[in-house]
Amino acid sequence: MATTTATITLSSADIQSDVLALTKQATLHKGGTTTGLNQTTGLQKTIFTATTNIVLFDSTVLGIGGASKVYIANKSTDPSEFVTITINAQIVGRLYAGDWMFTPWSQSDAAGNIELQPSTVSSLPVEYMMIHNGITQTSA
Amino acid sequence: MATTTATINIASADLTDNILNLTNTATLNKRGNEEGLDTIISATKTFTSTSAVDLIAVTGFTGTAANKVYIANTSADTTTYFTIGIESEEVGRLYGGDWMFIPWDADTDDDITITPSVATAMTCEYIAFS
Repeated sequence: MATTTATITLSSADIQSDVLALTKQATLHKGGTTTGLNQTTGLQKTIFTATTNIVLFDSTVLGIGGASKVYIANKSTDPSEFVTITINAQIVGRLYAGDWMFTPWSQSDAAGNIELQPSTVSSLPVEYMMIHNGITQTSA
Repeated sequence: MATTTATINIASADLTDNILNLTNTATLNKRGNEEGLDTIISATKTFTSTSAVDLIAVTGFTGTAANKVYIANTSADTTTYFTIGIESEEVGRLYGGDWMFIPWDADTDDDITITPSVATAMTCEYIAFS
């Protein structure tokens, strides 16, 4: 059993009168258990050179109904460049340059892929990783 | 203009042979420029029903924007969970202690929904930046 933690810190001295200083740590478990997620895609980096919408994570390969955790970061430095993240054609949001997201992903159905569409063809780097409970292996 | 940062650290000494210790900090800006998001809504809610309800409705938010949303399940019970969705699409489950941080398009009908897994009191906290 692996022990993996994800910690977020949100900080701002001036978005409101009260200082924002929130830190939250989660230990990444298999759904409904205290057993740690023990597999990962590893951190991957792709430089996208087309605006084609692509499948970043395939829900059928992962098994429907899992409790995976997904990290995606737009590593561009051009603030006008973004990637649009969708699940089953439902837009979640846009990750602009420097933005990241971390979300549970329950792979609710066979069409529930996580997809990514770059806004530009000009070499947009994206890093992504999933921590999960297993992938269906296909025969060679 | 406000300056707000979101930092993530993902760490594990034993998930792989190579120690995982990823850190990334984002400055939360409005879409397409370097001006900071300047509006915040934060709340804590306790639910006592398994009905699906809107946690954050799009009303009042700018659509197709660079909004960001943080949601956490404050429970310590790892067997109960909130199912988080956008419009009718399920995104994922937040079990006790889990959190998520996502960009939010907030376009028409893109309400963020929440469905508790049990009718006993479950509490979540959330923050929306816009």
